[in-house]
This record gives sequence, structure tokens and C-alpha cells, in this order.
Amino acid sequence: MRVKAVECRDVWMVYRNFMERGVTALKGVSLDIENGEIFGILGPNGAGKTTLISVLSTILIPTKGEVRILGIDAFKNTKKVRERVNITSGVRLPWGMKVYECLRFYALCYGITDRNVIEKLIADFELEDYRNTRFDDLSAGNKQKLNLARAFLNNPEVVFLDEPTANLDPDIARKIREMILQIIKEKHTTIILTTHNMREAEMLCDRIAFIRDGKIIAEGTSEELKRFTKANERVIVGFKKPALSSLPTTYPYELDENSAIFYVDDAERFAPKIVLELSKAGIEIEYVKMEEITLEDVFIELSESN
Amino acid sequence: MKTSSSSFRRVISETIAFTYRNYVVTKNEFYAIFEMLFWPLVTLISVGLLGEFLYLSKNEVAFIIIGVIALSVVHIVQIDVTYVMLLDMWSMSLKYIIVSPIPFYRMVVGAWLFGAVRGTVSLTLLILLSSAFFNFSFELPLSAAIIFTIGLFASAILIGIFNCVLILIFGRRAEIFAWTLTAIILIFCGIYYPVTILPEPFRTFGLLIPITHFLEYFRSFYGFSPTLENPLVPGIVETVIYLLLLLIVAELSMRRARKTGLVLKLSG
Repeated sequence: MRVKAVECRDVWMVYRNFMERGVTALKGVSLDIENGEIFGILGPNGAGKTTLISVLSTILIPTKGEVRILGIDAFKNTKKVRERVNITSGVRLPWGMKVYECLRFYALCYGITDRNVIEKLIADFELEDYRNTRFDDLSAGNKQKLNLARAFLNNPEVVFLDEPTANLDPDIARKIREMILQIIKEKHTTIILTTHNMREAEMLCDRIAFIRDGKIIAEGTSEELKRFTKANERVIVGFKKPALSSLPTTYPYELDENSAIFYVDDAERFAPKIVLELSKAGIEIEYVKMEEITLEDVFIELSESN
Repeated sequence: MKTSSSSFRRVISETIAFTYRNYVVTKNEFYAIFEMLFWPLVTLISVGLLGEFLYLSKNEVAFIIIGVIALSVVHIVQIDVTYVMLLDMWSMSLKYIIVSPIPFYRMVVGAWLFGAVRGTVSLTLLILLSSAFFNFSFELPLSAAIIFTIGLFASAILIGIFNCVLILIFGRRAEIFAWTLTAIILIFCGIYYPVTILPEPFRTFGLLIPITHFLEYFRSFYGFSPTLENPLVPGIVETVIYLLLLLIVAELSMRRARKTGLVLKLSG
């Protein structure tokens, strides 16, 4: 039987400290992630994304539930799991250290004394020009590259990336994504990533889970997830005269001041019918646009739904 | 296949990781050099001059200078051990050492090794300056001097681990102890006076602190009789017991911090 990269069963996490009232961050999360998969975890702020990958990477011990990483019980054989996984979360690393020194320190933590391992990562992540630059003096993009290089030091089979391109310029974010893809291609690493960037999730992830209020509310490929929405496509109609209170149509819509969005299964088929209905009612139309539903629409809909 | 030599290399590598980090931070950060030299020198000069002002005898001066040396060395070594948590807490990167497979005791031993180097530099400097300016003569046989130094370093690792435990339980609020705990402990172990002058229960409390016995051992070479006969024995026994207990408590605190989510709070 093929061992899964991650098996997570009914995981609950309650943050509780001294007399503080507990905060339940995860509520019975169950997940299966196959080896070599790129798995995305999406959700609004405070949904439990960081808590989930912190539990899966053994940083946190869940209040209840079972986690197996590469077939190993993550909380009975934590050391064995830690040798085979790694994580990046944010861009913070110890200050007071230069790029090379930082990688050397973490390499030693994993028992790695071969300096070629560090040199290869410095080259792979294009950090050659900064090897003697202190962490504090690096740009946000280079800090993230260094953090990614650190995460691949122990040649992990499973890597958790917590918002790897957050707060980065678009060109740097694209570069980081390319680097991640290159590494996956070379090493066949399983990647579990959280992101707010829907395009990134669509571009990188084989499967995606939506998490909200500590629960997985949807899971599947991006195409499968798009089926969760009201429709597959939408027709956007712009009006010449604004301030309409309602529209005389049978199609579901959302009304804005100057436009309306109609949710339909086939935009090309339904757009002429919508235009006809509106024109018959005397509404003057300025433009008509047709769009496919994106993952962002799914995200917004799932975030707002009950 | 894992061999015993590769496992041994791994243990050494993991242990020296924290020696390396403290070395790098000391090399790169001015404050690390500053804390190693500035306060020890200021304390030595002020206490030495006070001794001269009060016309203390040579042995009385030695008594208080031994206290100054102990305070400075223990503080420097313990802060290196506390850096295991402190540096990652400051830079909000604690999760990365938690997710590495290195056991806690190797982290503190590694950091302690570099602390011992910094402590030795400070100790040597303070002894040389006290001899040069305050007529302090270092009268210990070499073996006794080594035992005293190891005693101080061992006491420092206890304080360092205790500080790490406090950080793992109370988070950032415990940071203040990294700078004050040595001074608080040294009040009870007779830094500038014999513990016999302390009222009960502080006197008994003082005798439960290993540094008390190492200070008394050193001072016995200057004609001051220790509270307990052969002070090295209680000093060593207490150190070993506390070390084992603290390592267990540290592991439990780490586990607790992972359960309560404190490790994430300390990681930003």
C-alpha cells in the first residue's frame, strides 16, 4: 500500500494558556495528501491555516486527533518526522547572522556538515551575491529566498510553505513560484502551501482545501471547487444610467450602481437573452462582458456562505 | 544505513550548532562583546575602589572580588545559554528550531560551550585586572581553580535553562529574568558576605544554591571557613540534581508550549 504524505484525522486545536478562555482554532480537520502532490490550503484571515500547517509540521501538538506524516505518527515519533519535513512561515530568521552563517547554523541543526549542500542552495536560490549580507539587510524577496533555502536544507520529503509570496512584489513573487516549481520538479517533494493569492493557488496546486472557522469546508481540484459556486460563468452588464433598484430578469444577479453581474452556466448562450430582457424593460446598456468564474470567486463565496 | 560514527558525528554537529550561532552573533554584534566586558569591568572597579576606601584587609578585598568575578562570569555564561530561546524569541523564528530534530539538551549544551569560552575570557581578564589594580593575589592551586571555574559554569547552565523554562511558560514576559535572575540568586548565595549572616529561611535557601558552595570553596583558600564541611560535595550534588530536574522540566515546558500555542506566539 502506498504511504500518504499526510494523513490527518479529526484534528482539534484549542489554544489555552493559564486562566485564559480557550480559543478553538481547528475543529475536527481531516485531510489526506498524496506523495508528490502540491496541496493548497486557502481561507480568510484567522481561519486556521497557519495552525493547521503548524500541527502537521509538529510545531504544535493538537488537543485531539491523529496526524501521520509519511506513514509515521507525528506525535509518537516526532524526531523521525522532523528529519523528513520542513517549513517556512513568514520571512523572519535570526538576526545577527549573515546568509551563509544562517544556512550553516540550520544545516548543523540537521547534522549536515557538508558545506556543498549550503553552496548548492545558495546557487539554486540565487543568493550568491548576498552570502555575506546580514539577514536584517536583505530585501523582503531575498529574505524569503533564504528562508526557502533553509527549508530545503535537510532535503525534506514534505515541505510546508505558509504564504511564501505574501508581501512580495509581483515579479519577486513570480520568481519565488518558479523556484518552488523547479525544486519540486527536481526532488519530487510534497508541498503543502497556504496562500491568499488565488492565482498562485490555481497555478501551483494539484488540489486545494478551503478552511473557514477551523473547518475544511471544501476540497478538490480548482476545477472541482469552481463547481461549488452559483454558476460557472458570469455576464457583466454596464448601464448608461445608474441607480436601478432592481432588474426585470429571471437570472440570478448582483446589482451595483452602474452594472450588474449575472451568474450563468454558459455566458455565450445566456448573454443575448439577458440583454434582450433588459432592453425590453427599457434599460439602456453601455457594455456587456463575459467572464469565467475564478478561484477567487469560489473563495469569496465560500468565505461568505453559511 | 546509520553507523555509530555517523550518529556520533550527528550528535556533535547538532550540539555545536548552537555554539556556532552564539559565536557568530558575538562576532557580528557589538553588544555581545560589550556585555562581556563593560559591566564586569565597571563592577570590578567600583567594588575594588570601595574596598580601598574602607581600608579592607587583603583577604577581605579578595572575599568581595571573588564575589564580583563569580557574578560576572555566571551572568555571561548563563546569558549564552538563555540565548537558545532569547535570540529566536527576539527574531520571532522559534518555530524553526522547534521543527528541527535537535533535542533541547543539545541546544543548551552547545550554547553553554560558547558561554564557557566567553566566561573564561572574562574570568581571566577580571583576575588579571584585580591583581594589577586591587592587590588581589590568585592563591588557588590550578586544580582548585579549575574546579571553581567548572562550578561557576555549571551553575550558569542551571540559571540559563531555568530562564529558558520561564520563557517557555510565560513567553516574552519572562525576558526580564535573563538580565536579573543571576543578581537575584547571588543575593542569597553570599556574593559580598558569608551566607551565615542571612536570616532564616534565606540562609537555608542560600545553602540550596550550588554557587554558594563554590564561592565558599574558593574563599576557603583565603582563610574563610565554609558553612558546610567540604563545600564541593553539596555543590556538585545540588548541580547534578538540579540539572537533571531542569532538563526534564524544560522538555515538559516545551511540550506545554506546543500544546498551548505559545511557540507560535513567540514566532511572530
